[in-house]
Amino acid sequence: MRCWPLITFLFCFSVLSAQNKPLLYNVDDLPQSLLLNPGAQIDFIGHVGLPFFSQIHLSAGTSGVSLHDIFKNDGTNINTRIRAAMHSMTSYDHFTANEQVEIISLGWQLDKRNYLSTGIYQELDFFSYFPKDLAILVNEGNANYINDVFDFSQAAFTGEIMTVYHLGLNHRFDKRLTVGVRGKLYSGIFNAESTGNTGTFTTVTTPQGPNKYRHTVENMNVRVNTSGFASLNEEEGMTVEEGTAELLKRSFFGGNIGVGMDLGLSYLVNEQFVATASVQDIGVMFQREDVENYHYYGSYQTDGLEPLFPELDETGRAIPYWDEFEDEVDKNLIDRTYNTPYVTWRPAKFNLAIEYGFGQAFLPCNYLTVNKVRYMNQIGMNLAGVLRPRGFVYAFTTYWDKKLTEKQRFRIAHTLDDYSLANIGLMYSITFNKFNLYLAANNLLGFRNLAKARSTSVQLGMQMVFKDL
Amino acid sequence: MLMSLIPVTNKFLLCLAFCMVLTGCVKDIDLDQAEEISLSPDIDVDLLIYNISEDYFYQSKNNVFQPVIRDTVRLEFLDDDYIQKDLTEVEFYFRHINTFPQRFSHTIKFLSNAGREQILIRYEVAPGSLNNPVETEYTEVIEENRINLIRNSIQMVVELEAHPNSEEFKGELEFASTGLFKFDF
Repeated sequence: MRCWPLITFLFCFSVLSAQNKPLLYNVDDLPQSLLLNPGAQIDFIGHVGLPFFSQIHLSAGTSGVSLHDIFKNDGTNINTRIRAAMHSMTSYDHFTANEQVEIISLGWQLDKRNYLSTGIYQELDFFSYFPKDLAILVNEGNANYINDVFDFSQAAFTGEIMTVYHLGLNHRFDKRLTVGVRGKLYSGIFNAESTGNTGTFTTVTTPQGPNKYRHTVENMNVRVNTSGFASLNEEEGMTVEEGTAELLKRSFFGGNIGVGMDLGLSYLVNEQFVATASVQDIGVMFQREDVENYHYYGSYQTDGLEPLFPELDETGRAIPYWDEFEDEVDKNLIDRTYNTPYVTWRPAKFNLAIEYGFGQAFLPCNYLTVNKVRYMNQIGMNLAGVLRPRGFVYAFTTYWDKKLTEKQRFRIAHTLDDYSLANIGLMYSITFNKFNLYLAANNLLGFRNLAKARSTSVQLGMQMVFKDL
Repeated sequence: MLMSLIPVTNKFLLCLAFCMVLTGCVKDIDLDQAEEISLSPDIDVDLLIYNISEDYFYQSKNNVFQPVIRDTVRLEFLDDDYIQKDLTEVEFYFRHINTFPQRFSHTIKFLSNAGREQILIRYEVAPGSLNNPVETEYTEVIEENRINLIRNSIQMVVELEAHPNSEEFKGELEFASTGLFKFDF
């Protein structure tokens, strides 16, 4: 009977997904764990990252289709495969890409209870749901979908590039509880988003109507907000160097600004169980510079043009039916471009984890470090989520973390998410003297042929990590 | 030397895993197929409608019966890029519901901007009665070998010729038309 809560838990989250870094979460000798949980338990007293190389993170995923599904070389027509893929996907399938590069990373112990960490990283984040109805309408038209509704609300995406400046404090309350907070300043380089759209397009048969069909656009309200795009788009003669200089300028508070925070805690339930929780990027961006908004709204229906007979009006001129029709459409389906500032929320993330330690609590040749290496093995479960336009996207990871020696450890993990049910990940960290090198990769099985993988992610980095030996 | 600290089994697994990452590849696909990707929407749209009575045939100043009436509609979208470059086939559908006891000849002409005839479609509308409306349907397919005629067109002329008989010339004639435009982008 005790198994039921666990089975229920696993089942609930086995079909969900997230963009997260479970392989680095709660790795107590990697400073990057503080970026995932500012209240993580850590066993180092200082760190300095190699600029631009202390963390390079790349991840991409698509929940509905792989590159192989589209581009496989099996003699069938690619357009047939695209059509099949479109029909197999749902409007909740999504595409995501995330990239992070730590530019600067450093931290030091203030006293026995407090650890301060700070740094700068650059992040790109893109997320889009698959707008199934619109994709089918564009690819196949409406002829085979008479009386079907094409829903504009399926179109939802967010994309941003920014530089993040952060400062965090990790505070150990007592032997059981460690808490942490990290403040963030965001310097936006680029943003584009379209969420909360509404409206439908239908072509219905009208047996009692004046024509065979009636076309209706109902309650259309589609808005695309951009910042950092218009000026680049307008500068026709801009060279690559000028464009790069402009983007660099924005990354140092030359563009749009935002603020945010991370919170986290670790709690030692007993000698062997540790529970942790964190939230990241509870933050807001104020998009005020270089803003351009595109707004399409209105309702309209038509049965066709209606000639009046006779051919000429009272003044003897041909009646401009088409012009009148276009005017009518333009009056009812309105297209506007504004420069209105807007606010975007960062994709907030959360992590919940519980970890169980076992195995010998000291190293054979270094038994004095018993307080630093508590257990050689940890097994854990981590539920992570990222807030996207239609709610949280989850991933559930179970892992085994093994300290091979005091300077080496690996973690092997299995993640259940939308992209794969067989997502095996591995992290390996090694320290030469004080120089630490780590490499982590998710969905290892997918690396055999990345074309078939629906997701993959890699994190690697190198840094100096100082421990109190 | 550091590697020697790792137990043999773990070393093997780690090497295997990171070899997988480092030798990760993309295979069994042909990205050149991207050149063949096309969109092929079939767009079904309403074109013209009318609903006329006998009054429409008595519109001259002296109220004399005119057996032929016509009107012209400029279909400006026929000049758009997507028609000029990507249209492959058009299927026109015409439907009349007639309560006149007379038959009509219905002519549709597609003309170029200069007024030169590109396509002529002509069919007969069967007579009906007030209590028994008669439906006449007609379909005309313009296939790829004639699609240039549509691309050259910009005006659609609708012409209706009544054929009086001994019955009273009284009734209604409803017209509906759609076009199924097939594209290959």
